[in-house]
This record gives sequence, structure tokens and C-alpha cells, in this order.
Amino acid sequence: MSIPLLVTGAGGVGKTTISAAVAIRAAEHGLRTLVLTVDPARRLAAALGLDELGNEPRAHDSLPTLSAAMLDAESSWAEIARRHAKPDVAERLVHNEFFSTITRHFPASQSYAAAETMADYLEANKWDVVVVDTPPSAGGIEFFTAPTELTDLIGGRLFRWITGGSLPGRRELFNLAARPALRIVDTALGSDLLERVTVFLFDLRTTYDGLRRRAGEIDRHFRRAITLVVTTSDPAPVAEAARFYRSLPEIAKPPRAVVFNRALPASWEQARAPRGADQALVANLERWSREATHQRRVRSEFSARYGTPVVTVPWTPVAPTTLKALSQLIDGVEGLRPEALALA
Amino acid sequence: MHQNLLIVSGKGGVGKSAVAAALAIAAARRGRRVLAIGMADTGLAAHLGLDHLEYRPIEARAGINALVIDRPAALDEYLRLQLGVPKVTRIGPIARAFDALASAAPGIREVVTIGKVLYEARTNAWDLVVADAPPSGQIGSHLRAPRTVAELVGAGKVREQVQWMREYLADPDLTGLVLVTLAEELPVVETTETLAWLEAEAVTNVAEVITNRVLEPLGATVPADVTSPIGAAAALHAGVHDEQQRWLAELPEGPQLPYLFGATGPGEVAERLADELESM
Repeated sequence: MSIPLLVTGAGGVGKTTISAAVAIRAAEHGLRTLVLTVDPARRLAAALGLDELGNEPRAHDSLPTLSAAMLDAESSWAEIARRHAKPDVAERLVHNEFFSTITRHFPASQSYAAAETMADYLEANKWDVVVVDTPPSAGGIEFFTAPTELTDLIGGRLFRWITGGSLPGRRELFNLAARPALRIVDTALGSDLLERVTVFLFDLRTTYDGLRRRAGEIDRHFRRAITLVVTTSDPAPVAEAARFYRSLPEIAKPPRAVVFNRALPASWEQARAPRGADQALVANLERWSREATHQRRVRSEFSARYGTPVVTVPWTPVAPTTLKALSQLIDGVEGLRPEALALA
Repeated sequence: MHQNLLIVSGKGGVGKSAVAAALAIAAARRGRRVLAIGMADTGLAAHLGLDHLEYRPIEARAGINALVIDRPAALDEYLRLQLGVPKVTRIGPIARAFDALASAAPGIREVVTIGKVLYEARTNAWDLVVADAPPSGQIGSHLRAPRTVAELVGAGKVREQVQWMREYLADPDLTGLVLVTLAEELPVVETTETLAWLEAEAVTNVAEVITNRVLEPLGATVPADVTSPIGAAAALHAGVHDEQQRWLAELPEGPQLPYLFGATGPGEVAERLADELESM
């Protein structure tokens, strides 16, 4: 069965680049590799062989063991509805005026759509490794909790309260609007909005059994997945990475490593400027040396607190965007090679 | 920035909460009574030196109170204050009905959140309200929420409420949007898209586009030998600086905040950014 490799972390830390580099290196190692990515920069998408309509995996022209596809939450949701509801109900849902709101309102729903897509590819058995660049929300933890959250939402108290306990018939629905609380709300809104939403929620609830079953299967993939948590040394992404480690135990195995991107060489910390060097260069070395020291402290504190291995990826002025440069990124980073990640 | 309300947004990871905290600190130093609002669970608390925020304002330091919008509490307040649900009524069932409805009907949930921000901005308790808003990918639905709701509902209390919200957001003397960005590809692309959206929707006005973590020029030539630390640090600095300049050219003119070398914690980051904002 395909190995899931999940790359998580806050937005803007270089997750997409690192996912791509790890996937390319695995593919070069001879592993049939699929990388699923979210919102890549234009040049990176081009390097992966993704065009505008990149929702279906396509083998790379110059590296045939590599395939890439985009995770498109908007259209995946329609697919979920079609999969878990009866055909006529599904069409009603997809074309409902509230459908796009509910998909937008629950960031968990986008994560869920991504997770279900991931599960499909894992079960297709066409790849040895499926690398997932997870959607950036809540430090990546949401990707793991989304299946449970979504089934709880649709099967849960909030919706049940409006749609009734045991999926009433559509006729009974309208009796619900006679409830005093609902009448107050409807008066405030001054319209038949409540009735329209209730009909929609009722349709949505019919997806519950299917969703719950699938969520269980997705959870099993999560539990066997290899995880990497990506961060920089900045306080905000480090806090999100920490949150991931704190919430993780119930969901999955401990991450293989925390990856600190934009890391500076350890040799800069104690570096002395040579005699007679340009003052501007001396001042520059001094501030970068201070940054290097700060970074090392952040890494060792993190590693000590969460007992996790640390991998560092060097800071380059421009993120690599060609197959060759992405592969070379891993040259200096032993911890991200296929062998170290136990992919091969 | 003279507005009563500054809404701070930007792509995730650009330092939005830090800049929001710095704007609050800089205003408080000038003697303004400031309320900082976290519109979601954000890093705002840490940047203001608090370990958490509550729905009730907490005094973070002299001149700054801070709160976080907790949805159930905001909804309760909205139903009672804005819609006039009587005090004696049990709010539970109504709140549940409203929340279930709001989860599906566009704009309603956002109106409760942005409504709380606008309500605080409108009171006389504060000279300035700084809202640490959702990322720019989601800010549109909040800013547009009063209009969305007006289009959705009939003539009821909600409709009356959203009218003043729309006017307050659209008045450039009252509300300003601060977009925080970085001089990197994806944040610049998202900022440009957000600006185009704002231009088209005209729901509120942009007060500033602030670019965070900008490197100053190296001020010397990069040495030929880039293997030694002094040469390598110069090459990295010059390389990042050049790349940043390329992306800065794509952004409208606006304040630039420096990269803070060796900054140790969120509180220090906000203080140092406030120093920078004050010196502008």
C-alpha cells in the first residue's frame, strides 16, 4: 500500500517547496511518487509539470516516476456531496444557494476534502509514496482533525436541533419552524431564510453515514502516515508547530522530524570578521551571527521540549523552482532523503 | 492613520498580529485609549504580553485593552443588544437556531464578528480600535458581510443593523484597512489580488499597505570569497535584499518595517515594530 507522507506547518514557511523537493528526491530514487500540493507559486507549479487545470495526477515529462496534482477544495466538495448523497439530493446540494457558504465557513471542510482526495490516491495503489502538502490552517493540525470535526458537525447537536433527531421526513420539517425560538429568529431576519436553510441542512444530513464511514478510513491512513512539521525560527510558526506537537498524540504517530526552514549555518555564530574588513560587512556579519544564535536556541528549545529530531534547510535568497535545484536542496539535508524518511 | 478603526489583515505568516499589536502600542504611547481585538484565535495576546485573551476586555498595559471575539459570547451579545431579544428570554435555543442558520447562510456569522468590532469602534470608550482580522484570503467575506446579509434577508431588525455597519466600514474617516505583506512572491500576489477586490467591491478603504521584514541595503560590495562567514552573510543579505526590491516594486508605496535580527519573543517584536512606526 502507498505510504502517506504528510508535510504540515504554518503558512508561508516553505512547506510547498519542501514537499516538492522531498517528492522529487523520492522519485529520483525510483519510487513511484505522487505529490499533492496547495497553491504553489507559479514557477514551482511549472517545475512540477502542473498546468492551470492540475486536478488530475500527471506523470512528469522528464521524471516519469513523479506525478503531481493540485488539491482543489472547491470542486472536491462537490465531489464529496455526489459521493455521499443520493444523486438527486447531491445535485440539489451542489446547486443550493447555501452550499458554497457552508464549504467556506468550515475551514475543516476544505481540509476534509483534501484528506478524502489523499485517501483516494493512497487506495489507488498506483504510487509507492503520496506526499501531501497540507492546507495551511491551524498549524496543520486541522488536516488531521477535519474528518472527525466534519462528521461531528453534520451529525451533531447544532444541525440535529434544526433538522430534528432522526432525519424526519421533509413534510415534518416545516413543523419545526413553529418552534418559538425559530420564530424569533425568523422575525429578526424578516424572511423565509430559516425555512430555506432548514431544507438545505436536511439534505446535507443525508451525507452523514457515508461521511462517517469514510472519515474512519481516512483516520486509519493518518495513523500510519509519516509526518514532517515545517517551520521557520519565527515565533508565530514555531508556536503553531508547538501546537501541532501538543495536539498530536491522539491522532497520529509522532512526526519524523521538525524541519526548520531558512536556517543559517552554525559556523556563523562565533564567526569573527577578519582584520581591516569593510565596516558595513562587519556590521552585517554581526547581525546575521546574532540571528544564527537565536535560531539555534529556538531549535534546541523546541527539540528538548518535544523530544523530536530537528532537520535544518538552509536559507537561500530565492526559493528553488527547478527540478534540479529542488533535488539539490536535499543534497545538504540528509534528514529529508528517502532513506532517512523510511520511504525506501 | 487618523481613523477610529483599523482592520489589520494580510496573508498568513506575514506578521499581521505583530503589526496589529505594534499599531496599538504606538497609539497608546501617544496617549490614545486603544482597544485591540483578536477577531479569531491569533497571536495577538502574546504580542501584547498576555498569555490569553477573553471576550471581556483585559488591560494589557497602560492605554491598551484587548479582547478576543468568542463566537458564542458575541452571538449572545448580538442577539440581546442588536436584535433586542429580551433579557428574560432563555437565549440558548435562539442562539442555537441562529448559529445553525448562520453556519449555512452567507454573511450572518461574519456580521456577528465584524458587528462586534464596529460596535466597539462606535462607542466613546476608545480613541482607536485595532482589529487583528482574519487573513486576507478570508477578509473579503467579513468586509462584505453587511452587504451580503442586506441582500439575503427581508425587512427585519437584522437589515436595519447592517445598514449602519456598511456606512461605518465605507467611511474613510472612520475605518481603514491595513494590509500587511512581505516582499516575497506569494504575499505580494495575495496583496495585489486583495487590493483589486477592494477596488471592485468598494466596501472599505485601504489606509496603508505595510511591508514587514524588509532588509536595508548591505552598504558594501559582496566580497569575492563567499565561503567565509563574512562573505556568505554578505551574499545572503544582498541576495535577499535584491529579491525583496523586485517584489516591493509590485506593491503600492507604503511603510516598510525592518527585519528584526535576533528578536527573541513576540512581546519584543511588537515593541520594536512600534518604535519603528513611531519614528515614521
